[in-house]
Amino acid sequence: MKTDDFPKADDADVALLLEGTFPYVSGGVSSWVNQIIRAFPDIRFAIVFLGSRRSDYGAPKYAIPANVVHLETHFLHDDIVAVEPRAKPAPRRGDVDTYAEVKRLHDGFKGKPDGLEAFARIARELQPGGRLTVDDFLHSEVSWEMIAERYRHYCTDPSFVDYFWTVRIMHQPLWLLGKVARELIPVRALHSISTGYAGFLGALIAHARSIPLVLSEHGIYTKERKIDLYQNEWIRDNRNVFQKDPADLSYFRQMWIRFFEWLGRLTYDAADPIIALYEANRLRQVADGARDERTFCIPNGISLARLSPLRARQPDSPPPVLCLIGRVVPIKDIKTFIRAMRRVVNLMPEAEGWIAGPEDEDPGYAEECRNLAESLGLADKVKFLGFQRIDEILPKVGALILSSISEALPLVVLEGYAAGVPSITTDVGSCRQLIHGFGPEDEAIGAAGHIVGIADPAALADAAVALIGNPDSWRAARQAGIRRVERYYSDAMMFGAYRKVYDKALGVAQTTGGAH
Amino acid sequence: MFQPKLGLSALALETAAWVQLAAGDTSDAALLRYLGSHGGASALLALMAWSLLPRPLATPRLPVLGLIFGVSFFIPVLGFVGVILAIFALPLLPSRREQLDFRAVPLPALDPHEKQDVTSFRQAGVRQFLKNERAPVAQRLRAVVALGNAPSAVSNPMLRELLNDATEDLRLLAYGMLDTREKKINAAIHTERAEYAAAVDDPGRQLAARRLAGLYWELIYQGLVHGDLMEHAAHEGFKYMAEVIAAEPANAGVALQFGRLLHHMGRHEEAEAAYRGARALGLPAPRVEPYRAELAFIRRDFDEVRRIIKELDDWQGLSRLQPVVRLWRHEARQAGQ
Repeated sequence: MKTDDFPKADDADVALLLEGTFPYVSGGVSSWVNQIIRAFPDIRFAIVFLGSRRSDYGAPKYAIPANVVHLETHFLHDDIVAVEPRAKPAPRRGDVDTYAEVKRLHDGFKGKPDGLEAFARIARELQPGGRLTVDDFLHSEVSWEMIAERYRHYCTDPSFVDYFWTVRIMHQPLWLLGKVARELIPVRALHSISTGYAGFLGALIAHARSIPLVLSEHGIYTKERKIDLYQNEWIRDNRNVFQKDPADLSYFRQMWIRFFEWLGRLTYDAADPIIALYEANRLRQVADGARDERTFCIPNGISLARLSPLRARQPDSPPPVLCLIGRVVPIKDIKTFIRAMRRVVNLMPEAEGWIAGPEDEDPGYAEECRNLAESLGLADKVKFLGFQRIDEILPKVGALILSSISEALPLVVLEGYAAGVPSITTDVGSCRQLIHGFGPEDEAIGAAGHIVGIADPAALADAAVALIGNPDSWRAARQAGIRRVERYYSDAMMFGAYRKVYDKALGVAQTTGGAH
Repeated sequence: MFQPKLGLSALALETAAWVQLAAGDTSDAALLRYLGSHGGASALLALMAWSLLPRPLATPRLPVLGLIFGVSFFIPVLGFVGVILAIFALPLLPSRREQLDFRAVPLPALDPHEKQDVTSFRQAGVRQFLKNERAPVAQRLRAVVALGNAPSAVSNPMLRELLNDATEDLRLLAYGMLDTREKKINAAIHTERAEYAAAVDDPGRQLAARRLAGLYWELIYQGLVHGDLMEHAAHEGFKYMAEVIAAEPANAGVALQFGRLLHHMGRHEEAEAAYRGARALGLPAPRVEPYRAELAFIRRDFDEVRRIIKELDDWQGLSRLQPVVRLWRHEARQAGQ
C-alpha cells in the first residue's frame, strides 16, 4: 500500500501516535496496536506514524483496519528541510523573550524549578506561526549565545564544534513535530504508545489544543534508548588522556541520554492516564517523573480463541526445537541464543534452534548473528526463518526462547502458552511473573518454563535441555502456561480496561470542546 | 606610492599656466590656454596626492580625486599650494588611534564542573564497590564506566558479575560494554576466516591462521567465552595454531602462544614442552618462566616452583609478580633454602 493510498479524513476520535511501529514494523507492539484498533470498531482512529528515514521502511506489514480513517507518515531525518522550505541563512537577532523561556526550560533540565511550566508555554511557540522558529534556532544571535554559554558552563568535552552539531541534530526534529502538531486534523483525544518523539508530539498537541493524552508504555522508551546509547560507537569523546575522568561517560553520550529522559518527563507531565503493563514498569515510570496518581497497569492480553486450537496439533512429547520468535535486533540478544545452541547441540545433537523474525530492521546485527552461527559450527543447526505466522510455527516447537536483555510483558510468551508451548526466558521485565506467577494464586499454578540470567548461554542451554529433554517436565510446564494465560491474560480483560480509558478520554474531550 | 613624475609634471603645467597669466594676454584663447594648463596641473596633482593617501581615505576613488582636483582648480593659488603643502604635511600628522575590535575581558571564573575531583578507582576497590548493592546507583554506574579503561582481561570478569545485578541500568551498561568487546573480536574472526578460505598461497594462509589463533585466544584471555564456547574457541585456536607452528617451528613467540593455549586446555605436558621450546629459541626467562612455575605448582612440584622463582628474583622488571616472588622467597627462607 503506498502512502498515497492511505485514508485521509477531516477529523477523527482518537489519534494514535506511533513511533517506529505499526504499520511498518512487525513485532509485539505493532500487533498490540492492531489488536486495539480492531477491538473498537466504533472508534474512528487517526494514525500519525513517526519514522527515521523513508528508506528504512518498506511496505506496511499490516493491513489497515477499516476504522482507521486517517493515516499520515512523517520521517524525522528526511523531512527537516520541509519545515521551512525557503529558509536561507540571514542575519537575525532572534526573539529574546522566547529564548528566555527556552533557557528556563533547559535550566529545568539541570534541576532548577519551572522547567515543565516553561515547556507548556513554549509548546505553542514551537509550532508554525509561533515565536520559536527553526530559523532562529539555526541562525539567530540569541540561539548562538545560548549554545555558547551552555557549552562554556556545562560541557566537559573539548570540542565546541561537536557540541554545536550535537545540539543541532538533537533539536532539529522538534520543529517538524511542531508542524505535525499544528497540521493534525481535529481529534478528540490522543493516545501515544511510547514517550520519545511520539510522546513529545502528544505533549505538544495536548498543551496546544487542551485535549487529553493517554500514554501506554510497553517497554520504557528511555531505558531502551539508554541501551542503544551505552553500546553505540558513533558518539564521540574528544577528551585526551589528561582531560578524561575515566568514571564519566562522554559528555555527548550523557547529553543524548538526558535528552531522551526529558522527552519522557515532558510526556509524563502532559499525559493522563499513564498506563504500564506491569507493576515494576509502573514504578519505573514514577521514578522517571510520572505522577503516581496518574499511573496504573493494564496487562497485555491475547486471543485465546485464535490460538488454543493449535494445542491439538502438538505431539505428546516435545519436539527437539527451540524457537526464538522476535525481531533480529540487539535488544533481543539473539547471539546469546545462538551461543546457547552450541551447548544444546553438544548435549542433544538432534536439537535445532529456529529464529523466526524479520531481519530488515538491523541488517548489520542480523549479519553478525549469521556469522556467529557459522563460526560456532552451527550453520545447519541454527536456522534463520524470517517472519513466520505464529499459528504455523508454534505447533512445531518444543519451547520458546526469549533471550532479550530488556522486555516488558512479551506477547509472544503469552501466545506460546495459549498454543501449549512453554518458555525459557531471561529475567527481564515481567518474565518472572509470567513463568512463575504473581501472587499466591498465580504461583500455585506452577512454573510454565524456566528463568535464567541475561547473557548466560550456558544457563539458557541447560534450562532448555532440562525442559525439552524431559517429557514430564515439559507437559507440566505446558499445562501451567495454558492455565495461567487463560486465567489472567485474555484479550477480553485488556479490551474491557481500554474501553473505560477511551470512554473517559472521549467524554472529557466532549465537555471541553477539544478546540483546535 | 609616491609618483614624482606626476608631481613634477603638475608643477611644470602650473608654472606654464602662471607664465601664461603673467604674459598679460586677455584674449579668450589665452584664457583657455591658462585653464587647460591649470586644469591639467590640478588633475596631475590630484592623482599624486591621491596615491599618497592611506587606503581608508582614498576610497571612494572618484569622489576623493574629484575633491582634491576641485580644491586645486577652483581655489585660486591657495588651492594648488594647499594641496602641495598637504602632501608634505600629511605624513607628519599624528595617526588617529583606531578603535580596536578587541576588548579587554576579565578572566573567566572556573566553572563548578571543572572543580570536581577526578575520581580514581583502584582495581581492588572497584570490585568490592561494585558488589555493594547498597552503594548509590550513580556512583556504581561511574565505577562501571571507569572499568572501560581497565584492561579487558581484568575488567571483563567484573562486568560479567554485574549481569545479575539487581539494578537494571548497571546490567545494561555492563552488557553493552561486554557486547562491544566481543563483537569486535568476532567481526575480526569472521574477516580472517574469509581471508583464510580465500588465501591462494601458504604465506597468506599462515598469516590468516596466525591471526585467527590470536583472536580465538583473545576471546579466552579476555574472559568473553565460557563453558562450551570456551572449549570451542580453544579447539578452533588450537587448530590454527598447530598449522602456524608447523610452518614456523623456530618462532619463539608462536611457541609461547602455543604453550599458553595448551596450558589453558589442560594439556600440561605438551604446554611444558612448548614453553621449554620457547626458551630454547631465545625468549627471556620473565616471558616464559612464570607459566612454567604455574605448571609446576599444578603438578605439586614445589621444589621446581622455588627454583624458578629464585631465578626470576634476579629480574627487576616483573612488578606484577613481585608479591608472588616475595611469598616464595619468604617461604624458601623458612624452609632454610
